[in-house]
Amino acid sequence: MNAVEIINFNTYYGNKAVLQNINLGFKSDSITAIVGPSGCGKTTLLRSINRTAEMERGFKSQGDIRVLGKSVQEVKNVSAIRRQVGMVYQTPVVLPLSIKENVLFGPRYYGVKNRLEMESIVENCLRQVALWNEVKDRLKRPAAQLSGGQKQRLAIARALAVEPQVLLLDEPCSSLDPAATGLIEELLTQLTKDLCIIIVTHNLFQARRIADETVFMLEGEVVEKGFTNILFTSPANEKTRGFISGLFG
Amino acid sequence: MKQRAVTDGLLMGFFWLAGLFILVVLLAIIAYLIWRGGPFVDSAFIMGSPAGLPLGSEGGIFPAIKGTLWLVLLALVLSILPGLLTAAYLSEYGRGGRLADIINLLVQSMAGVPSIVTGLFVYALAVVSLGWGISLLAGGLALAIMIFPVIVVSTREALLAVDENYRLAADSLGVSRFYTLYRIILPRAAAGIMAGVLLALGYAAGATAPIMVTAAAIIASSSGALLEPVMALPYHLYILFNEHISMNQAYATALVLVILLLLINILALSLHSLQERINSR
Repeated sequence: MNAVEIINFNTYYGNKAVLQNINLGFKSDSITAIVGPSGCGKTTLLRSINRTAEMERGFKSQGDIRVLGKSVQEVKNVSAIRRQVGMVYQTPVVLPLSIKENVLFGPRYYGVKNRLEMESIVENCLRQVALWNEVKDRLKRPAAQLSGGQKQRLAIARALAVEPQVLLLDEPCSSLDPAATGLIEELLTQLTKDLCIIIVTHNLFQARRIADETVFMLEGEVVEKGFTNILFTSPANEKTRGFISGLFG
Repeated sequence: MKQRAVTDGLLMGFFWLAGLFILVVLLAIIAYLIWRGGPFVDSAFIMGSPAGLPLGSEGGIFPAIKGTLWLVLLALVLSILPGLLTAAYLSEYGRGGRLADIINLLVQSMAGVPSIVTGLFVYALAVVSLGWGISLLAGGLALAIMIFPVIVVSTREALLAVDENYRLAADSLGVSRFYTLYRIILPRAAAGIMAGVLLALGYAAGATAPIMVTAAAIIASSSGALLEPVMALPYHLYILFNEHISMNQAYATALVLVILLLLINILALSLHSLQERINSR
């Protein structure tokens, strides 16, 4: 079973159609990249999965999205969906709290009170994002003092701390330098255990490096989806070939 | 090219002149008050009660200071919770919705109601119909209604100035708006909210019209009893001046009132600039 299933999904902003007839499945224990030119609807699709897209005025959708078999469209309690589906944004966002409290922001809300449990969540999540060794001596310092790459890794740790089954990343490296990008790519490939990772990226090299499968979108529609190495070496669709040919010169 | 430089130069000149003009007027008012009222402000004036014939021509203004503090405190107590809740709804819960639009419009209209009208309304409602009489409670209510829109607008602006990304990040964890509000947004906006509340407080302390018909008395002990009339600095000043009781006492009272308001405003401004530094971090 796919962790995320998108069925005949359409979205509109006012009367303008954004996504048209999307049918996609995303597997757990793997990374799927969504690529395509700006404005093709990648981010809208991502934000529909955790139902943050509907926070925009005039947003409407049809069709269904299922996370672990349960429809997110019908759920009354949006909070439960967002807990299952973590999200990391393009700009690294750290909350104006200490490093430790950033990680614990979600767990505290969901009722974790035991000190030992909190400490183990902090260490565990920070280790998962390869940040523990860099910050273990200054957990109580403001997170705002971290570098851009560290902030983005902390944002991932904060999302992981509520144990999501799906992790959405919206161009998480676009404001980072190559070294910080490399670190994040490496940790993402190690995070896939029991996790369905969906990453929107502008960077075709990045999709090639880390994604097991890649989806190519154009003008609100899915053009092609396949295993990354196949999609990039022998795409079935003419448009995909055109888009990725930029990659090969 | 040269002409543009001349235009810019001229405009800068005007800006400086305008700024200087305001500054001169303000300083002139304070200097004049110090010159006319300063010699009469001493500890006996501040700590004493009105005396002499006609009453107020001698003695001090302590009951008026106390009364003004009571009125402002009560106005704050009555308006702060509704004000904060309204602002929190407007910025965190109802933003962009129809209800928020309507509330914004209402608050805007409330801010436009002349304070004497507010005073008359509270007079009709509280003083007469509810039978509170001319009282501290009625005056506090009138001032509370007057400063409510000020508190709503300044608090709303302080909340809205908090980085939107924090809300986005918190929302995507599935936590409630209230949790985000008290853990992130409120602490970030606290200095700005306090600055707004202080400005509203200064506004209430200087207001005369709403208390004239609801709370103020020519002489009262201002003990803090809710259903007793109180003295108040702006009203006392008005009586001293309007009834030609004593210009010296009037200027001295004005000086005390202006110093009180200046202190409040300086505190508010320093909190405001603290908030700006927080926002830019």
